[in-house]
Amino acid sequence: MRVCVLYSGGKDSNLALLKANEEFEVSCLLSLKPKSEESVLFHYPNVDLVYLQSRALEIPLIAERCGDDEFSGLKALKSGLIRAKSEYGVEGVVSGAIKSVYQATRFQRVCDELNLWCFNPLWLRDEVSILKEIVERDFEVIFTRVAGLDRRFLGRRIDLKVVEELERIKSYVNPAGEGGEFETLVLDMPLFKKKIRILESRVVEGKFDATLIVERAELV
Amino acid sequence: MHPERGRGDVIPNPMKPKNEGCYHLITSDKDDSIQTHLILIVSTCKYKLSEEEFVKPIVEIVRECGFSYEIKRYRERIDTDYSKVIVCGTALMDLDYLRYVDKFEWLKDYDGEVLGICAGYQIIAKVFDNDLVECKKIGVYEFEVVKDNPLIGKGTWKAYFLHRYALKDVKNLECLAMQKDEVCMFKVVGREFYGVSFHPEVLNREIVVNFLHIS
Repeated sequence: MRVCVLYSGGKDSNLALLKANEEFEVSCLLSLKPKSEESVLFHYPNVDLVYLQSRALEIPLIAERCGDDEFSGLKALKSGLIRAKSEYGVEGVVSGAIKSVYQATRFQRVCDELNLWCFNPLWLRDEVSILKEIVERDFEVIFTRVAGLDRRFLGRRIDLKVVEELERIKSYVNPAGEGGEFETLVLDMPLFKKKIRILESRVVEGKFDATLIVERAELV
Repeated sequence: MHPERGRGDVIPNPMKPKNEGCYHLITSDKDDSIQTHLILIVSTCKYKLSEEEFVKPIVEIVRECGFSYEIKRYRERIDTDYSKVIVCGTALMDLDYLRYVDKFEWLKDYDGEVLGICAGYQIIAKVFDNDLVECKKIGVYEFEVVKDNPLIGKGTWKAYFLHRYALKDVKNLECLAMQKDEVCMFKVVGREFYGVSFHPEVLNREIVVNFLHIS
């Protein structure tokens, strides 16, 4: 079966991609690109890194622009999946959803409407086990945004020591960042043909969060 | 512990031949008759990737409750030396298991406890001569428990549904709960076999935990 992976460039979508690749042909990635000013400020530069990740993976990318509201997001998702079906002949979609029933419901409904198989290989997984798996499977992942998590994590690579630290504070910080406590960027993983090297970055400090914006990066 | 191996006192026996197609099989070198707390988890998934979503969460609950388990797939021959059986659900597009309902005829003679989840509910219903009707449901809905049972108390609850077929009328089954006109929970008359059309692993874990503790 040919599948499309919903791809944000973070740890969860990359782990879902790795699992999907073990059984199916991953024909394309689908990335939703926010266009609001706030999204530009906090996400846009790193969202653009999915193009570089797509090149590193040698898997084509479909990028759809969307607004911040739910309707716009679903419309973009549907439009992207229609393209994935027509351009790449995909029969299934894979996401890195973990716990959000709200997100899963909407995703399942869109897949059903388009007659696509829906796979969520991380569904209900224990968050710490996901972090451990990405470390064990040699992912190189860094924190690109922290909110409610100590700012010293920003830019830091997720290794076993970090996992242990997150495990210690898991009663008030979701270790998978599901509550928006952090966002991650994958610089390398087993399917990457080349890894990403960050050449230039800057930190944007907010009142309650901090974001590492990658200005320039290359494949090496 | 091996990540896919059940905990407890079940020891793998490398001398015992593996069933073909059973990639999670755990065998015991002890007399089968003493495997009193071995849970069989049946996957109804056509694809392994779906098992991460529909079987693994059940395995986690069984593990957390401290039970040993084996996992088999719906197309395999199934022995009945287990104290309890959980037949899991699968993806919305996946209807392959409905072609293999005859593989579950052993349920008619099985004297342990069974919990059928979604696809498992449908399989039990069909084995006991019920007709499924088309009834697509995706998302969280309230349901009403109408009869006392050991899995969940009477009253209104929320559950996550993901199915294309369900029961509106029942034969040889007692209706335990309703979601509008859908029988979303049943018990096979005279048996400790239960079916739930929703996915209890998402919002109603206590149903699985209570099932594991029925004695």
